[in-house]
This record gives sequence, C-alpha cells and structure tokens, in this order.
Amino acid sequence: MAYTFKGGIHVEEHKNTSRRRIEPTVPPKTVAIPMVQHIGAPATPCVKKGDHVTVGQKIGVVPETALGCPIHSSVSGTVVDIVKKQIPSGAIVEHVIIENDMRNEKCPDNRPAGKSLQEITTEEIIELVREAGISGMGGAAFPTYAKIKSALGKVDKIIINCAECEPFITVNHRLLVEQPSTVINGIKILLKTLGVKEAYIGIEDNKPDAIKILTRLTAKSKMISVKTVKTKYPQGDERQLIYALTGREVPTGKLPADVGCVIFNPETCSSIYKAFAYGTPLTSRIVTVDGDCIRRPKNLLVPIGTSFADLIELCGGLVKEPKKIISGGPMMGAAQWDPTMPITKSTSAILVLSDKFGRKNNVAPVCIHCGRCINNCPMHLMPMYIAQFSMVNDLESADKYGAMSCVECGSCSYNCPGGVEIVQHIRVAKAAIRTEKSRLAALNEKK
Amino acid sequence: MDNNQKIIAKSADTAQTPGNPQNIKPERKRIEMPKRLTVSPSPHIKSPETTTTVMLDVILALVPALVWGVYIFGWRALAITLLSVATAVGFEAASQKLLHRPVTVRDLSAAVTGLLIALNLPVSVPLWMPVIGSFFAIVVVKQLFGGIGKNFVNPALAARVFLFSWAGEMTRFTAPGERVNSLAITLGDADIVASATPLASLKTGILPESSALDLFVGDTAGCIGEVSALLLVAGGIYLLARRTITWHIPTAYIATVALLTLVFARGDAPALDVMLREVFAGGLMLGAIYMATDYSTSPVTPRGRLLFGAGCGVITVLIRYFGSYPEGVSFAILIMNTLVWYIDKATMPRRFGGKANGK
Repeated sequence: MAYTFKGGIHVEEHKNTSRRRIEPTVPPKTVAIPMVQHIGAPATPCVKKGDHVTVGQKIGVVPETALGCPIHSSVSGTVVDIVKKQIPSGAIVEHVIIENDMRNEKCPDNRPAGKSLQEITTEEIIELVREAGISGMGGAAFPTYAKIKSALGKVDKIIINCAECEPFITVNHRLLVEQPSTVINGIKILLKTLGVKEAYIGIEDNKPDAIKILTRLTAKSKMISVKTVKTKYPQGDERQLIYALTGREVPTGKLPADVGCVIFNPETCSSIYKAFAYGTPLTSRIVTVDGDCIRRPKNLLVPIGTSFADLIELCGGLVKEPKKIISGGPMMGAAQWDPTMPITKSTSAILVLSDKFGRKNNVAPVCIHCGRCINNCPMHLMPMYIAQFSMVNDLESADKYGAMSCVECGSCSYNCPGGVEIVQHIRVAKAAIRTEKSRLAALNEKK
Repeated sequence: MDNNQKIIAKSADTAQTPGNPQNIKPERKRIEMPKRLTVSPSPHIKSPETTTTVMLDVILALVPALVWGVYIFGWRALAITLLSVATAVGFEAASQKLLHRPVTVRDLSAAVTGLLIALNLPVSVPLWMPVIGSFFAIVVVKQLFGGIGKNFVNPALAARVFLFSWAGEMTRFTAPGERVNSLAITLGDADIVASATPLASLKTGILPESSALDLFVGDTAGCIGEVSALLLVAGGIYLLARRTITWHIPTAYIATVALLTLVFARGDAPALDVMLREVFAGGLMLGAIYMATDYSTSPVTPRGRLLFGAGCGVITVLIRYFGSYPEGVSFAILIMNTLVWYIDKATMPRRFGGKANGK
C-alpha cells in the first residue's frame, strides 16, 4: 500500500524520457553563469573581463556571514563579459559570460575532503557543502549548508524527496536508476552530519525500476529505508510528503524542521557526495528536455550556464511551432520569453510546448461554483473563495480564508472547468498581503 | 541561429550513431524559434474538462429519462422539451447581447436549464408555458443576477415555481400511455384523460394503485422527466462515474426522505411499502440527483453538501405532510439554495496544518 495524502489530482504523466539515459552534452561554446542561483544574498563576481578560468573555479562569492553559496565556473576558458540579464525566475542579475576553450581544465583548488566519514566533523562537512556551492536542486534553491545548519539537533528524520510528481520531468528517476550509490552515499553523509538515525527515500510508484534498485541497495542499511508513495500531484510538495511518510502535519506558518523532518532532493545528495569524495563543486546538473515540440526528448548532463537554445538544438531542434518554453515542470514552472535563458542549479527541465496544451475554453473565465478546487486542494483551502476575494481586493477575507497557506501547486487552476486562473489570483493576494503586513509592521515600528 | 549552433546540433545527432553515416536520417524541415513566445502563469497544462463538457454530461445523463418521457406521454413531451431548450438558449443569447456581455450559450448551461424546465412540466401544459418558464429562469433568475455561477437559486426550479401562477395547468396530469394532441397550443380538460399522481393519493392517506416497481420503472402519472426513478438513477451513476457530481447531496437527500417517511409513515399500509412509494414517486429523484446538485446553488464542501441534502430532505417531507400541495421537492431545494453561502462558511474544511474550522 503506497503512502499518500488527502486531496491532489491525477495529471497525465508525460514521462517520455523515463528510459532515456543521461547523456553528456556537447560542450557549449559559451556559458552565461548567473550570480543568483540560490535563495539569499546574490554572489559578487570575483573574476574580471579577460581572466582565464578553469572548471570548478570560484567566480562568484557571497560574504561569510550572509545566506548564500559561492558560484563556480562550469567550463574552462576566458571571461568575455559581465552583464546584467534576466534569469528564468524573472529577476535581472549579473551574469559572468565565459567563452569555452574546450580544454576542460580542472581547477587544482578543488580537493576531496581527505578524511573518512568517521573522522570528519560536522562543521567541516557544512563548510565543504557551502564551498561546493550546493543549493537545493529541486526548484526552491535554498542553500544546502544553511538547511543542514538550521536542522542540526532539531530533526529525527531525513526525507529524500524522489516523488518527482511534475509531469515530463525524469531527472531524479534517471539519477536513481543510473547512479543510485552516489545518492545513498550522500544520504549517509547527511545522516552522519545531522546525527539522525532514520532516512526515508520517498518515491512515487510510477518508478518501479528505481524502487527496486534502491530497495536492493538499502536492504542491509538499518537507517535508510525506501518508501513507495502514490503517484499523485503534488506528492512531491514537502508538506504532503512529510505527511504521507510520517503522518506529521507541518503547522501553518511553520517549517518541516518544526516537526522534526528535513527534506533533501536526491540530486543534492549526489552533489554532496561528489563534493566530499572528489572535491567537485556543483557545476553541472541533469536536465530533462522535453515537450511535444522537441524532436528527440532527452536527459542531459548540462554545465550550469548553458543556454536553453543550445539544449533544444542538442535534442534535434523543433518539430512544431512552439507556444511556450517552460523552465521547470508544467504545473509550477515559469514560462520564458527568451530562449537564450541560462540553465541554473535549480533548472530541472526545459519544456517546449505547442498550443496543444492549455485549455481550449471558448468562453470567458467564470467560477461555476463546482467545488473541484476545494476537493483537490492539498492544503484543504477554499481556493475559489480566496480567488474571488483577491479579484475584489478584499485582502482581509483572503487572509482569513488561508491565502498564506497556499503552496501554489496549481491543482485548482488545472482542474477548473470555468477556466479561472485560480492560483494566480491567490498569488496576487499573497503578494499584496505580504506588502500590507510589512507596511503595517513598519508603521508600528515608527510609533 | 548561427553556424556554431548548427555544428553543435549536427555533432549531437551524429553522436547517436557513430561510424554509420547511412543511419542518419535526412534532416526534416527545420522549424525556427518564433519571435514571440507566450508568457503566462503556471500551470501550463489543463485538464480537458470545461464548463461545456460538464453541461454536456448532464444533458447525456438526462437523455434516457427524456426518451422515457416521450415514450410514455407521447410526442408532445418532445415538443415541449425542444421549445423550452430553444427558447432558453435564445433568451440567454438575447439578454447577454442586450446587457453587453459576451454571449456564452456555447457553454450549454442554458440548454441544461431549458431541458430541466421541460422535464419538470406535465405534458398537458399549454405550449406558451415553457417559453415563459425559460424567460423567467434565464433572464430574471440567471442573467439579472450576473449569469452562470452567480444566480442564488436554481433557475429551472424558480421557473417551475413561477409557473405555479397557473396552478390548474401545472397540476393536471395525464395517465401514462395516454396520447394527447402533440401540437395544440392549449389543451382543454376534455382533451385529456386526467390521472391522480401517486403523491396525491399518499396525501389522502391511501396507498397508490401503482406498485413500487411501477413507480421505480416509471409507469405512472407525473411530470415529463420525473417518472422513471430507474433511468434517473442510471443517469446519476453516469454523472458520479464522470465525477460531474459527488455522492453527498443525492445520498443525503434521498436517505433523509427515506428515513423520515419510514419512521413517520402516512396511512395504515405497512411503513416499508409507503416509504418505497414516497421515494420513487414525484420529483425526488430528478430533484436530488439533477437539481439539488446544481453547482451555483449548492455548497462546495463535502460536509456542507451532506447538510444541504439532509435539509432538502427534511423540508420536502414537511411540505408533503403538512403543505397544501402534494409535492415539496422544488420548494425544499429553493429554500436550501438561499442558505448555501452560510453553509459553505460554516463547513469550511480544516486547513492542512491548521486547527479545526479553518482557523
């Protein structure tokens, strides 16, 4: 019996690339590496135009005291420019543009930990993870060292989120099938660092091959166990996964650590292991390139900073006129207007979709009060009422009906027969409530 | 795209079939990246369900009951239905044009309203009555309150109650199998073979002549679409399977009526016999499955729907027992319709990670 939660929706899976091996890319001619790839302070470039850089060399640094992690070059070559450009999330940040000399020189500074897991201290691991520039690779991009630090002494369970409930994306699936030991070794490092006795690997039951491999590899381990969860969206939302696996509900406004859990993405675990064992910082990641406009959908191991357009070409180009390019999954990813966007540490997929997707509703969006969004909401909110309050700018009622608890999974918009973009109305309300609250807080301070 | 990108693309293609250039398929026509891409909020994929498909499901579910109505009451039943649907759609389009709103007849909601009005009329009504009903339902109840999703009472039921202004016509039922003139505008009392409905018999404390099985199959007097419990339930099962409606309202409604009429059975006949006839006769099935579940005028939470269904059941039985009219389904649903907002508010689900009652 697979574990699950109440609510959620069944979405057509589109896992076209679940059997495509991870392929290395043809090295890109240039890369544009953004200085913001994590939540926290932006990195400042520590190289200048004309500098020669090597693979894994630090090119962006964050002050020791600030939240954030350094950024490394993903190719060897010459810094040709430092410009301000847009990143997939929409912010305009500094990019270091590096021309690839195709020599793939490795940076000599990157050395493995040099100690066994028994000898190394918690502080040393945290420093190692920070220096390797590892941030969450599932999408939220929270710096991993900070997550480990904040969870120290508070948690009794580590959860590895391999649900991968977004349609199309298969990066975690392929990673677990092809390099399961790197993930498991990463989990062992995390168990040691946090002094925790139990780690759960949560996988949706649509990945039987990965479940089989991991179950075999963890059979002897007393600490790591594989837990099958139901294939349902949004099973990979951290609150829903914690509930499914442990029965604990993260209280409104609290964090997973408050119920003794900390969640990691499997690729993050794999990166931690690679930094520990080989000294390699995070300079490349696996990306699913898919969508009905792509000739040959693939999973690619991509240097950070490679442009979307390069990857689309590597997959044989387009077979249909695209309507949208999406960075991330189709349920929560962001539509892009510029195909030359760079891959960041948290870009798990590029989807090129034609107008076949989306709703073909021929009438204006209208709520018909059907209640589907309420049945589907994984947070058990009343999305249609919050959206209606948002439309008339009644922030007080929107807040009362739980707008701030919304995880923006989009289950409501997906299933709305009236074609209302419910989750977007809620996002608007959330942003307005946040602004209003900080304004009131500032007023109170003045008094 | 520049030359370098082409080289990259080519080298990637050849990498798949090393040393065997014959295997490379010739490049098909290239499609360039368009200059403009659509940027819109997520989610970028949507379920195929739309208001139109939902309404179409309701129509499909009602077709068997309509066919039965035509079989048992003759072609006039079909004439009334077509007239009612056509005028409902016509009034919707015309009023939206007049009110400068987008015309949304393609969502089929007006067609459903028209169909339900017809199924709630006796076959012997004058042909102008469905037209007046459609006007009241679509223009007054629906469009003047803001259109689909905004009306606070069920348009078809409001129209039916409005048409009780002509109480004689609305309560004159023909016997099953009797044929009446299909296209005569009005029918006099001499033109039809009148028959008492089972509920009218129950009102006087006498067990109706029709057996429970007759009532279940639909061989009885009544409105065009309400007689066959069997076919209405079959359509209801289709709607449940398509997830167009949930089980809460029909189950709570029918169960409440069944329970109350069993415990407080009318007349001297065995309670079970009375209960079965109370449940299968009249508009209960049509009301509970198709009218009380109308989206705009029913609660959205599971608990709210149970409460709403039970409330409809209680009021229906009260009207049947103590009212002057033998049937109470329409009035019961209309009364509960007005409470929907309060029921929604009172039955707010417990938030994930929150305390009870939405806090």
